[in-house]
Amino acid sequence: MSTSRTWVQPSVLPGFGLTVGLAGAFLGLIVLIPIAALVFKAASLPLSELWRIATEPRALASYRLSFGASLLAASLNAVFGLIIAWTLVRYRFPGRRLIDAIIDLPFALPTAVSGIALATVFGPQTWIGQWLGSFGIQVAYTWIGVVVALTLIGLPFVVRSVQPALEEVEASLEEAAESLGAGRWMVFRRVILPIILPALATGFALALARAIGEYGSVIFVAGNIPMRTEITPLLIVIKLEQFDYLGATALGLVMLCFSFVMLLTINAVNGWRLHRRVGGR
Amino acid sequence: MSIALEQVSKHYDGAAAVNDVSVSITDGEFFVLLGPSGSGKSTLLRAIAGLTTIDHGRIVLNGRDVSNVSPREREVGFVFQNYALFRHMTIADNIEFALRARRVPAKLRRQRRAELLKLVSLEGFDRRLPSELSGGQQQRVAVARALAHEPRVLLLDEPFGALDARIRDDLRRGIRDIQRAVGITTILVTHDQEEAFTMADRIGVMDRGRLQEVGEPRVLYARPKTRFVATFLGAANLLLGHRERNGMRIGESLFRLDRIALPPPSCGTEATVVIRPEDIVVARSDVRAAAHPIGSAEVVEMEFVGSLERIRLSVEANPLLQSALKPDAPVFSMEASRSARESETAPLIIGQKLCIGVKRIHVLSTRISSLRLLGTRDEAELRLKKSKLVSDLAMRMHITPTLHPAYDAGKAPLAGLPVVELDEGHGLQIAARLLQDGASQVLIVGSDNRPAERLLIYAQPSRPARDSVLSTAGSLLRHMSVDSTLLVPADERSLYGARYRDLLDIRNAALQLHGVDVRTESFREGIADELRVRLRSAPSTMLLIGMTSSTSGSALIEALAALTKQCRFAAVLVTCARSDTESLSVRHVREGAVASFG
Amino acid sequence: MAVAARHLAHAAGSTLPGRLIGPALIVVSLAFLTVILIVPVGSVLTYAFSKGLDVYLEALMTPDTMAAIRLTLTTAAIVVPLNTVFGLAAAWSIAKFDFRGKQFFLTLIDLPFSVSPVVAGLVFILLFGSQGWFGPWLQENDVSIVFALPGIVLATMFVTFPYVARELIPVMQMQGREAEEAAVTLGANGWTTFFRVTLPGVKWALLYGIILCNARAMGEFGAVAVVSGHIRGLTTTMPLHVEILYNEYDLVGAFAVASLLMLLAVFTLLVKAVVEALGSRRRRPG
Repeated sequence: MSTSRTWVQPSVLPGFGLTVGLAGAFLGLIVLIPIAALVFKAASLPLSELWRIATEPRALASYRLSFGASLLAASLNAVFGLIIAWTLVRYRFPGRRLIDAIIDLPFALPTAVSGIALATVFGPQTWIGQWLGSFGIQVAYTWIGVVVALTLIGLPFVVRSVQPALEEVEASLEEAAESLGAGRWMVFRRVILPIILPALATGFALALARAIGEYGSVIFVAGNIPMRTEITPLLIVIKLEQFDYLGATALGLVMLCFSFVMLLTINAVNGWRLHRRVGGR
Repeated sequence: MSIALEQVSKHYDGAAAVNDVSVSITDGEFFVLLGPSGSGKSTLLRAIAGLTTIDHGRIVLNGRDVSNVSPREREVGFVFQNYALFRHMTIADNIEFALRARRVPAKLRRQRRAELLKLVSLEGFDRRLPSELSGGQQQRVAVARALAHEPRVLLLDEPFGALDARIRDDLRRGIRDIQRAVGITTILVTHDQEEAFTMADRIGVMDRGRLQEVGEPRVLYARPKTRFVATFLGAANLLLGHRERNGMRIGESLFRLDRIALPPPSCGTEATVVIRPEDIVVARSDVRAAAHPIGSAEVVEMEFVGSLERIRLSVEANPLLQSALKPDAPVFSMEASRSARESETAPLIIGQKLCIGVKRIHVLSTRISSLRLLGTRDEAELRLKKSKLVSDLAMRMHITPTLHPAYDAGKAPLAGLPVVELDEGHGLQIAARLLQDGASQVLIVGSDNRPAERLLIYAQPSRPARDSVLSTAGSLLRHMSVDSTLLVPADERSLYGARYRDLLDIRNAALQLHGVDVRTESFREGIADELRVRLRSAPSTMLLIGMTSSTSGSALIEALAALTKQCRFAAVLVTCARSDTESLSVRHVREGAVASFG
Repeated sequence: MAVAARHLAHAAGSTLPGRLIGPALIVVSLAFLTVILIVPVGSVLTYAFSKGLDVYLEALMTPDTMAAIRLTLTTAAIVVPLNTVFGLAAAWSIAKFDFRGKQFFLTLIDLPFSVSPVVAGLVFILLFGSQGWFGPWLQENDVSIVFALPGIVLATMFVTFPYVARELIPVMQMQGREAEEAAVTLGANGWTTFFRVTLPGVKWALLYGIILCNARAMGEFGAVAVVSGHIRGLTTTMPLHVEILYNEYDLVGAFAVASLLMLLAVFTLLVKAVVEALGSRRRRPG
């Protein structure tokens, strides 16, 4: 009791030691120790070797695709997610509730399901695939397919981040701006956008983090051609299947580092958001 | 005794939220803790319920020390500010909760629930959910729920805070009726002085973590001891009065006071006088028929508030008529009030010149009536004004310090509390001279401009010295959130020597006579060594030294001067007991003095 | 709602291009959703039933598919309760107490959200695989974790770790501590306080957290793909089975299993909608 008092505020509610201990133990066993195992495994390699594996041409090509497609998908989501959130918050139209519910589908839908669905819909045999093909656009088994899959799985993050922020924008703010003579576009750009920007940034970061790690939905539509449509997680799986554990570990470490960077970014953006909200009061 | 608090303290991040609070509350009493937000009143209430742990002190409920007892076993009923009703439970389940937790059989539970619902006049609401009730009804449910297990103590944390002003009156009466019917000892926390007045048997006023004063509403209103309580409990005009042989002079009039009821001369010739607006009489030419005239004023503003009229007056100051808030202001404002009928028969206009008279004054027993900043060298007084310690003290005591040139025997005022800069020990010599010339106390401020975090009190071994230092400590501690310790020599076989029992006696005397709760600690070596040790470990300390007389104190001053070369401290306040105080009864000093007209 | 209503009233009075903005945005939103979400998801059902109901049911009844369903249910039955216990413990300690490092603790709980599922699988291979830390010891004692049920459970737990906690924490934080404090002053012990005061207030959020955790657990692909070893009929969960069938060009079989998983997702969303409706209805009077 007297030792724990230094780091926990005393409270009359019981069970702090039990719950924090239990949660900490779970966290350690399931998440932290396994991750530490990867870091230690990578540390057993000489640094030059690690660098060589992580920067071999096939790996570099996979980074380019993973990061490029993810950035593109997150940007697409930022634009369309904002429009969808705006539509859902500001307009009443038939089917609005349904659309609102469907937004979460990619979140709850197993990735393998969305993967085969996209591959089939945009495949060269279907009418959509043929129609697009007549314009010289091939989606399935190209980088475009990767972008489409990543856009699908990232969509809920942007919409669900922006929606509550938009709902909080008070009508009186807009009315005040309009009464001062601001046009629609100016009201949006100078009044609304600054308010929802942190939320949009959070949504973007979440979608990006999710997209870079994504595996299931991509492998079905990507075609998985080495150097061209091979994402980094797939390369890890391929290395594992070849029992190249060190190679897989090196690439895993690169992805893990990126996860940490994203996590810190998201935290920082959230902190900024919180700070602004408190400061605004 | 239902509730007894002994030196209860609670710190958050090093700052005292509740600071050495001691009070006893009797069986069946309705006690109101009143104070501004952040004064520590809610923290104290939560500490009594056991919802907050305390760092120091004891909490005794019905003779049982519960300081380390879980709130589950304290047998208190607590009503939260937002009621904290269990929203998913019906009213019946809410009320029966405490009985279920005690495994009371269903039949008895139902019976008790019916009783309680009747008590709070909510019969038939059993099956409703809290969300289906109005705010006032929810609050009554919260009270009923808190009473279900028949606790010996009921604690209410701002129970009317979230309600409309209109229904508050009803609910106040309702709660008071329930409390009387059940006869339960109750503490209510509020920041609303009207609420405190209407409900309380006794009020405890809190500010900055300290329990400033405790008393019946009428007594606290009429005879407050401190500026804070005087102003917090209602509008008050604070003037500086000047002590004369047979009374207190304010402006043109001498208010005759019972000799015995005057504050002791050791307070200096100056005192703080409280005049309530309703005790001021205004007239076009002469007020002599109704009150003691004190001077003339000009009408600045009038406000009609239904039953009465408030008048703001602008008064020209003169040496005998000064505001206690801003003693050096050439013009200050006063507030008067009169009945609607009076305002009808003798209407006033803005800018009108009037004579003002006073029917009744109350003299505060506080020893610090004004802060007089004296320069030791050029611009020292301006530096003093910027000093954090002085400006904090001034702000908290609602005093504007006045600036005076460097002390030159006989020329500068000795009234109030003269303040000088330490200035490498030079300040101590000036202080010694001031005391020799008749000042009763001097504050010497360290030049490194640090706020005081601790107060160390020491008196030369004599009763007058101790009394004078404790009464100053009483004034100071009410306005500073510091830890305070009274040092008692252990090796002297004097009047208040060494033993534990003596330490306790001294503490009790300090509490009872001066309304100040200090901790007592004894020491063995000389006071200079003791102070050196303590100051080295905690430099942001303020010393409070009581001397028997200016001559016997000169050795002490020299010892202090030596000490300044070795260690740093925030400030020293030296009080000097004059021989003529010894004859005065201290009891009357505590209560302050009231002089009435007619 | 008032916001939107006022806005609509305002828009109606605006100029013609102003009035067209709303419908235009709605059309853009719907078009985007149709292309990226509705058509693909709809295609799952189309393909699953393209050869009729009999073929659909037959595809589900194959022994391998049944084994995959069983394995998925077993995994979820282990993972979800454990993650629920964790979620409740984490939410109680975080929402009801102030302690140093709370923010860090929260960040660590979020970690699995941003770690690639493939990496999540990889770490368990590195721990328990034949070349892993415990590999030799496990082989000696003839315990298989990787390429067996325990590995699948561990990887699934890793990936679905934060879901219950994340749903509970904001709701429990919003509750505050007063109700619990009131319960304690009324003489309730810790368990009574938790089960009679705290839990009823968060039961819907808890339910949604559990359902969501379950959906992700049953649908997890990447992490399980890495640790399962793809032993047909033994270590293939439903999503893995979808992949196998798809790669074997058994489209009806693949989409039939996929349709089951989709049903699970739709059910999850339904629960969410109900929970949200209940939440907003309860908030309104207060």
